[in-house]
Amino acid sequence: MLSQQDNELITRTAPGTPMGEYLRRFWIPALLTRELPEPDCPPVRVKIMSEELVAFRDTNGDVGLVDNYCPHRRASLFFGRNEECGIRCVYHGWKFDINGDCVDMPSEPAESNFKEKVKIKAYPARDWGGFIWAYMGPAELMPELPEVGYAAVPESHRRVSRRVQESNFVQGIEGGIDSSHISYLHFGLTPTKRDDPANQSLSNRDGAPHFTVKTTDYGFVYGANREAEDDKYYWRLTPFMLPFFTIIPGGTGSPDERTYSGHGWVPMDDDNCWMFTYSWNASRPLREDEGHSASFLDLEPRTMRSVVNKDNDYGIDREVQRTQTFTGIKDISVQDASIQESMGAICDRTKEHLGTSDAPIIAMRRIFLKACRDIMEGEEPVVPRDGATFRVRSVAEVLDKSVTFDETTERVPVGV
Amino acid sequence: MLTREENEQVTRVGPGSPMGEALRRYWLPALLRRELPEPDCTPVRLRMLGEDLVAFRDTNGDIGVLDEQCPHRLASLWLGRNEEAGLRCVYHGWKFDVHGNCVEQMNEPVNFKEKIKVKSYAAVEMGDVIWVYMGPADKKPPLPNFEYTRVPESHRGVTKVIQECNWLQALEGGIDSSHAPILHRQLKENVGSEGIQPSTPFVRGGAPTLEVDVTDYGYRYTGIRPLGEAEQYVRGYHFIMPFTQLRPQQIGRAGAPDKEMVAGHHWVPIDDHNVMVWNFHYSFGAGEMSEKERTMEGTANGWPNVDQVTFRAVGNIRNDWLINREVQRTETFTGITGINAQDRAVQESMGVIVDRSREHLGPADSAVIAMRKLVMEAARTVAEGDDPRGAHSTTYHTARAIEKVFDRNIPWREVLLPEMYPEDVPTAG
Repeated sequence: MLSQQDNELITRTAPGTPMGEYLRRFWIPALLTRELPEPDCPPVRVKIMSEELVAFRDTNGDVGLVDNYCPHRRASLFFGRNEECGIRCVYHGWKFDINGDCVDMPSEPAESNFKEKVKIKAYPARDWGGFIWAYMGPAELMPELPEVGYAAVPESHRRVSRRVQESNFVQGIEGGIDSSHISYLHFGLTPTKRDDPANQSLSNRDGAPHFTVKTTDYGFVYGANREAEDDKYYWRLTPFMLPFFTIIPGGTGSPDERTYSGHGWVPMDDDNCWMFTYSWNASRPLREDEGHSASFLDLEPRTMRSVVNKDNDYGIDREVQRTQTFTGIKDISVQDASIQESMGAICDRTKEHLGTSDAPIIAMRRIFLKACRDIMEGEEPVVPRDGATFRVRSVAEVLDKSVTFDETTERVPVGV
Repeated sequence: MLTREENEQVTRVGPGSPMGEALRRYWLPALLRRELPEPDCTPVRLRMLGEDLVAFRDTNGDIGVLDEQCPHRLASLWLGRNEEAGLRCVYHGWKFDVHGNCVEQMNEPVNFKEKIKVKSYAAVEMGDVIWVYMGPADKKPPLPNFEYTRVPESHRGVTKVIQECNWLQALEGGIDSSHAPILHRQLKENVGSEGIQPSTPFVRGGAPTLEVDVTDYGYRYTGIRPLGEAEQYVRGYHFIMPFTQLRPQQIGRAGAPDKEMVAGHHWVPIDDHNVMVWNFHYSFGAGEMSEKERTMEGTANGWPNVDQVTFRAVGNIRNDWLINREVQRTETFTGITGINAQDRAVQESMGVIVDRSREHLGPADSAVIAMRKLVMEAARTVAEGDDPRGAHSTTYHTARAIEKVFDRNIPWREVLLPEMYPEDVPTAG
């Protein structure tokens, strides 16, 4: 449970809010590299943390991320011309480069130096791991780009996606660091079959795992251990990487050969967020059908919302719910969206009842609340500055009961 | 006229509001029985008095009405699984019985389910309707034993439709006899749609005088219309606290023969800005009703004019209630098809909560004024810790609405009261 005040604190991210200022100290995925496929391609609207922006790839291939509104008379630059190393407003022809400098002002007399005085808000943007990342915070505090696994592999070895979710971003994160729900929400068998050992996956065999959380330099890692055969535990370890990324435990083969997937929730505004997903394999290209299920969703082209959404009750099929799946909703990613959106745009956390299985959620909120308080008191919150901090992966292994949680967490860092 | 403050008081129905607390002392119609047709069927979303709820029929056939949001992390239980005598949240498998007890917590190694309850309300099925009681357990009133709930199923029809305005202005339209032969008038005989034909005593009669007798359940009232030289047409209605109307339906409208029927509405607030209008009619004589009559098919309250899943009207405020100005010029007073569609149009047109500080009431509105007094009195009574009028009344259980044409010199009470109350006549005052 949170007080109303704390709930407000961690969910509001517009400029000037404590949580918003904290998040602006990280590199944040803004859109996909493939959405700006080539120099001078059409610009793309981007809304992050209540700021309306426009992204464009200039003639040199560099990415600009600027205010949606032209500083002249506030027309949208989305309608602009992306040409000759800048985006030009179609209203009066003012043109801006990726640094936000006004480089042309054809509507003013040639002798005017007005354009030297005009700048548009512009944020640094980088292509990295299939995403275009933005840094929206103070220049002097910019950290290194996070050395995430999917950025260290060739393009053929990864798959990325984004979609809109109609809820606050914290609800998204909370679904992502909540190992216990997978045995229910995403469960593919009827309750009757659940009792039949032949039909049980390791996650489903013991639906009430024990949770342990350990704070780390990248955020925290939590482990859920379920009873497995012969004095063994099935361990699932999920790293939570600041400020909102996770890597899902699972996959087969040795840890180096496995395909990993994860997601991050970027606030669009207080009531909506972007779910970014990534999947990668360090040892081989991904198959056509391999990767996070959200990367295969049909989206409405303009809104980037799943075509199966809140307005059509997520296509729930009650007969399927009775006989085949726990929810009657088709896609895992849509199952998550349905449940998280069903809590309301911003969940009223004064009314909830958390149990032991919610320990990671509590740990995440503590980090956020501490960071917000630091910001309010003028202290610098803890932000990992070294990109190598993020070289981690998830763990899903059946291990002897004698292996302690601490020992399992040594499997999370990569290449140590 | 009401002051702004009074208007706020009488229209707002959320938890803790004075009017809301008073309404929570009565059994409220919540769902049609057919919305929960069988054990373990699909759960249904239900919004009443500003509260988001979910209703389900469990494996035993019992009905549960619970807070829509799971107390764990507030996911919607509407997405849930209705199975093995409880509704289970699909997020982490917490399961609740019809009483709101948490009976399973699949994801917790050490359960704390004894400490968890979800808000739940009592429900009962009567007369094709599932009724809910949302008030304090120790104040639960006797069951809502309206006559229509006791006649055979073949003798009644019940439907519902969402109206997009505050409940009170909808109710006011229902106890306002004077509008009926005007708003619902047809300009000529047999135009082929619902309405009141010029040849009926309703239209032929003059402007009505209203008389209101307050009773323990609300009031009975009559609209008395002079008819020709020597007769009068008297319609006797009931207003039953807090939001029920009974109206007579005996004199055949479109030249049809007389029948032994009563009709009525309940106006149940969904929230401050929306009301669920319940429509019922029943035969208290020997006559059965046809299937078409029972479902109100083709009327403004039935298929295809009201979607039978969402209960939204096809003609609504966003499409100007499908008004046809040519029909308005030549056939009907409004140009809107369907009697209750006409009611919804004028009531929604007042704004979601009508500003009663700007209205001008006359003697033809005396039943409206009397109703407001009673519902405001109920809010005060409940605030003072007493039971509101009507909550414990049983005299309305046998009340009928009756209409008759008779000699203008005979007092209406002599003619109507014995039929309006086939058993005892409750005292007025």
